[in-house]
Amino acid sequence: MSRSRRALVWGIPFLVWAVLPFVATRHVVDLLVFAGLYSIAGLGVAFLLGQCGIVSLAQSVFYGIGAYCTAWFCLHKGLPSPVGVAAGIALSTGIAALVGWPILRLSGYFLALATLALGIIGQVLFLEWDWITGGTLGIGGIPRIAPFGFAFDTPLRFYFLVWPIALLLLVLHHNLLHSRNGLALRAMRDSPEAAAVLGMDIHKLKVQMFVLSAALGSVAGSLFAHYVTFVSVDSFAIDRAISFLLLAVLGGVYTVWGPVLGALFITVLPQWLSRLGDIHAFVFAAALIAAVILLPEGFSGAIRNWWRARKAK
Amino acid sequence: MTMLVKTADTFLNVAEVSHSFGGLHVLRGVDFGVPAGSLTGLIGPNGAGKSTLFNIISGFLPPQRGTVRFDGRDITREQVQTRTRAGLIRTFQTPKVFGKLTVRENLMIGCYRHLASGVVGNMVRSSRSRAEMELMQAQAAEAGERFGLSAVMERPAGQVTAGMQRLVELARGYVSRPRLLMLDEPSSGLNSTEIGQLRELLQRLNREGITILLVSHDMQLVDVATRVHVLCFGSIIASGAMAQIKQDERVRQAYLGV
Repeated sequence: MSRSRRALVWGIPFLVWAVLPFVATRHVVDLLVFAGLYSIAGLGVAFLLGQCGIVSLAQSVFYGIGAYCTAWFCLHKGLPSPVGVAAGIALSTGIAALVGWPILRLSGYFLALATLALGIIGQVLFLEWDWITGGTLGIGGIPRIAPFGFAFDTPLRFYFLVWPIALLLLVLHHNLLHSRNGLALRAMRDSPEAAAVLGMDIHKLKVQMFVLSAALGSVAGSLFAHYVTFVSVDSFAIDRAISFLLLAVLGGVYTVWGPVLGALFITVLPQWLSRLGDIHAFVFAAALIAAVILLPEGFSGAIRNWWRARKAK
Repeated sequence: MTMLVKTADTFLNVAEVSHSFGGLHVLRGVDFGVPAGSLTGLIGPNGAGKSTLFNIISGFLPPQRGTVRFDGRDITREQVQTRTRAGLIRTFQTPKVFGKLTVRENLMIGCYRHLASGVVGNMVRSSRSRAEMELMQAQAAEAGERFGLSAVMERPAGQVTAGMQRLVELARGYVSRPRLLMLDEPSSGLNSTEIGQLRELLQRLNREGITILLVSHDMQLVDVATRVHVLCFGSIIASGAMAQIKQDERVRQAYLGV
């Protein structure tokens, strides 16, 4: 690709990204912030599914842990944001390692069910341990992120916080995918026996990816708590885990940028369709089904395949 | 006349290995060895227990009795990966290439056991991570040239011919710098010209110091082995040079059909 062409391919999306929040309504920018948050959490789910073949329905737990840690440390303890984020990552990854070690010996449906069980247990504990989580009443008044006195207290400002973080995480995962361990992940997805013969510890790699995925869920949860300043158990129910899986599948799990497309789809499209009135939920469901049937590799897979076919010509 | 030999001082030593599936005794106290630097053949008719024995040696199946020693170390209960790290590499009867990876990537990942960068280092592209990628690229290019795969390096390995896939698997094993390379029916699916090329390739690898254990029922290929063991109904019935083996009465009856 020539330099000018490359500049166009990267420059146009960047310009759109930079200008969009200034021309869009506050409500749309708010949706785009959520799309950024979901991209981060969904990236973890997509990476697990696409590179390790693991269906995770537990991401809502790590999302919740990140959010509650931020609420606890920043609100109750008055500590700065990074402490809450770090605590969330530490707790999430610790739990992911402890739980992942035994359950990642399972595979297929059994593993998916085990992660679902983890998601349900998390939901119940978030509800029952109301002395930490506030139960159904939740925790309000979580402070905004405000480094050096600059508060990310509007959708516009938060937009310019969450998306660079999402981009950084995408780049880190892109690097991982094109490294020794990334190749190993793709190899073990294709043939676990041959991967083992080459010396790969498949179970350990899977646990590491599960831990990494949990860290992403937790970061997204912490940012969510800072953004909405209120967290309650409703935000971390199992339907949230399903949303993360859905956006991963829709966006495509074989590219790192697929979850971004999936997140935009599930956040922006329903709102846009709501102008259709009562029928909007039906239309959204039909669009979901059509996307899954027509684009088995997700939006990013379809775009990638189109791009490759075009290059081959 | 051939004879069974005790192989206590060999590189790979299989001693008294037995295994049954239900009431079916597949291996009955198998004893054999592979000397360091040799190109050893293991032959036998279908159902002789070759694949079971291969799986036991490579760690995919724990034996019910007996021991497997590699380079003086008891590896009977060790995991596949541990054996690999010790330098014991195998191929499969049906080639197991990483189908969605390109041929180049298949060869690159052959280096895996010699590299050590971690997930975090890979994410931030640490200097070690970058150096490893360069090393993997270089080794893949060298192996691709050596095994005649240069023309298909950028194609997904699952889309090249069966013969090519066989070569990809072999080249990937070569890149991992094995101390013992175990090949399971490497000639299946190849035509006679390709088998001839495979023979030359194996001889070349062996001359370079790689010990090879070759499991095959293809006499054209096994001829390349300096020493052959014959497995029949779960027991080694003869061991020796191919010329000797061909003269053995039991082997002729049980396997060669003459």
